[in-house]
Amino acid sequence: MSGIDVRGLGKRFGERVAVEGLTFHVRPGEVFGLLGPNGAGKTTTVRMLTGLLSPTEGEAVVWGHRVDRDGEGLRKVVGLLTEQPGLYERLTARENLRFFMKLHELDESKAWPRTQHYLERFGLGGREEEPVGGFSKGMRQKLAIVRTLVHDPSVIFLDEPTSGLDPESARTVRDAVAELASEGRTIVLCSHNLAEVERLCERVAVVKRRLLLMGPVRELRRSGQALDVRVDGEAERFRVALAALPFAPNVLAEGMRLRVMLEDESHAPDVLACLVGAGARVHSAVPAQRPLEEVYLDLLREEGV
Amino acid sequence: MAFRPRRALAVFWKDFLDLRKNVGLLVSMAVLPAVMVLVPIAVVWTYVNTPNSADLRSVAQFYDPTLPLGASAARFLIDKTLTDWFGLFLVMPVFVPILIASQSVAGEKERRTLEPLLASPVTAAELVAGKSLAALVPAVVITWVAFILFCVGVDIVAWPLVQGPLMPNALWTFGVLVIAPLFAFFGNGVAVLISARVSEARMAQQISALVVLPLVGMVGGQVAGILKAGLGFYALQGAVVLVLDAVLLVASIRLLDRERLVSRWG
Ligand SMILES: Nc1ncnc2c1ncn2[C@@H]1O[C@H](COP(=O)(O)OP(=O)(O)OP(=O)(O)O)[C@@H](O)[C@H]1O
Ligand SMILES: [Mg+2]
Repeated sequence: MSGIDVRGLGKRFGERVAVEGLTFHVRPGEVFGLLGPNGAGKTTTVRMLTGLLSPTEGEAVVWGHRVDRDGEGLRKVVGLLTEQPGLYERLTARENLRFFMKLHELDESKAWPRTQHYLERFGLGGREEEPVGGFSKGMRQKLAIVRTLVHDPSVIFLDEPTSGLDPESARTVRDAVAELASEGRTIVLCSHNLAEVERLCERVAVVKRRLLLMGPVRELRRSGQALDVRVDGEAERFRVALAALPFAPNVLAEGMRLRVMLEDESHAPDVLACLVGAGARVHSAVPAQRPLEEVYLDLLREEGV
Repeated sequence: MAFRPRRALAVFWKDFLDLRKNVGLLVSMAVLPAVMVLVPIAVVWTYVNTPNSADLRSVAQFYDPTLPLGASAARFLIDKTLTDWFGLFLVMPVFVPILIASQSVAGEKERRTLEPLLASPVTAAELVAGKSLAALVPAVVITWVAFILFCVGVDIVAWPLVQGPLMPNALWTFGVLVIAPLFAFFGNGVAVLISARVSEARMAQQISALVVLPLVGMVGGQVAGILKAGLGFYALQGAVVLVLDAVLLVASIRLLDRERLVSRWG
């Protein structure tokens, strides 16, 4: 069975409960975001799902391997990018990668071309023979990502993959992640960079010891309180007509776009009728998308009280 | 869980490569053998150069009051030095693996390389095997090379007095070939075990190094004339260490399980 299936997963360290009652499923080909404040239990969850820590409650199956029973089989199909790059400083980039190929008992002549491809892609081509001790923070991070991929894993866990990367490199990594998912792999992404999560993940889970919220990013961002409308010509012309409506207290116009704040979602058709009545040619009308960051912060604020 | 030699060898390959590039560690590893070889050669050399000193005879008679008048005191003391020094020489095969294994196990924790390593399919037993091999092979090779240099040096300086080769003798040959590897295994086992519990390589080295104290103590006893060392004495030491080795092996494989290593990261 492919993908990840987590049921009631929990971990306590002595008295402290780090994670409890976590349940979710990730499909092959999906990029799943794991969000949550510092100390929320993201890394602990990833460690349980990679067989580094054993759960104290619940169970999880990763690509057909029970995490508590089949650690060895699990680790063969899983790639983990840890929070810290954890490279051997005195060894060269190539030696670092060769070590992991050997640990996975790979035929190095077959594994190299793939690996070389990622090295080139991440701008590390030609630096293979240099000791990692001389690499910059971002270069190390990129090398650690390449190391995560040497054995062509089916499930990839990325704990803060773009931390320390310049915008261009972060973009390259994001593209690579999207591509890896499109090849049918399952990817779990822990990140504090919500713009990145917004772009990469289809679904996210927000955790704070337990699951606070889970759903498709598009749905979470959807705000019933606002409507985005695109019209022909200057949108400004229709602002006065809309302002007369009793249920649309606030209207913003910019270029060909209108953002109409609503007291209630059910008034959307009335807004469109009003626009058409005022002579507007409406191209599209969609519920406004709030930035994920706003959704996330609101959620944590609610949880706080 | 199956033991895959290829994965153990991968760990050995990496650690050995890392050791070769670790100049600081190589230097500290070279100091001890140099002392172990040069000091006894210098001592033998002084005996050879003052064979008729009255002081030598009184020292010799302290250890053996029945020493015949016709026997050479210098020759007696050279033999005694060679026998006792073997006890100190054993510090080397214990200490070198401690230096290496502390670096390679606690060092992985210190540099945060352990988590990616443990996320690979390697098992605890393979990890212990690979790391032990990477500490034992250099330790035994260094001991043997030091032994050869020691034999050549002693024979050269003692030749004028003895008129023939003194070394290698039965005690040293047996000791270096059989007892030294057992001691190396012991030093390695202690270092692996301690490294699993502490988070810094330096601390692991310092705590593990305490195990050489009994060895030095026993040589002190020999020099003070309390203990009389010989082939049988060293063979007994070897047997005791063999038992300790077995205990350490089991303990270190059990201690190096993932959960414990990961959750002890503070
Ligand atoms: N080995 C451990 N022993 C004891 N407590 C631990 C251990 N590992 C984690 N914890 C605790 O579990 C909780 C969750 O930690 P975790 O590292 O999973 O958080 P996180 O979501 O990854 O945070 P961050 O965003 O800062 O990386 C924290 O309260 C932490 O102190
Ligand atoms: Mg974390």
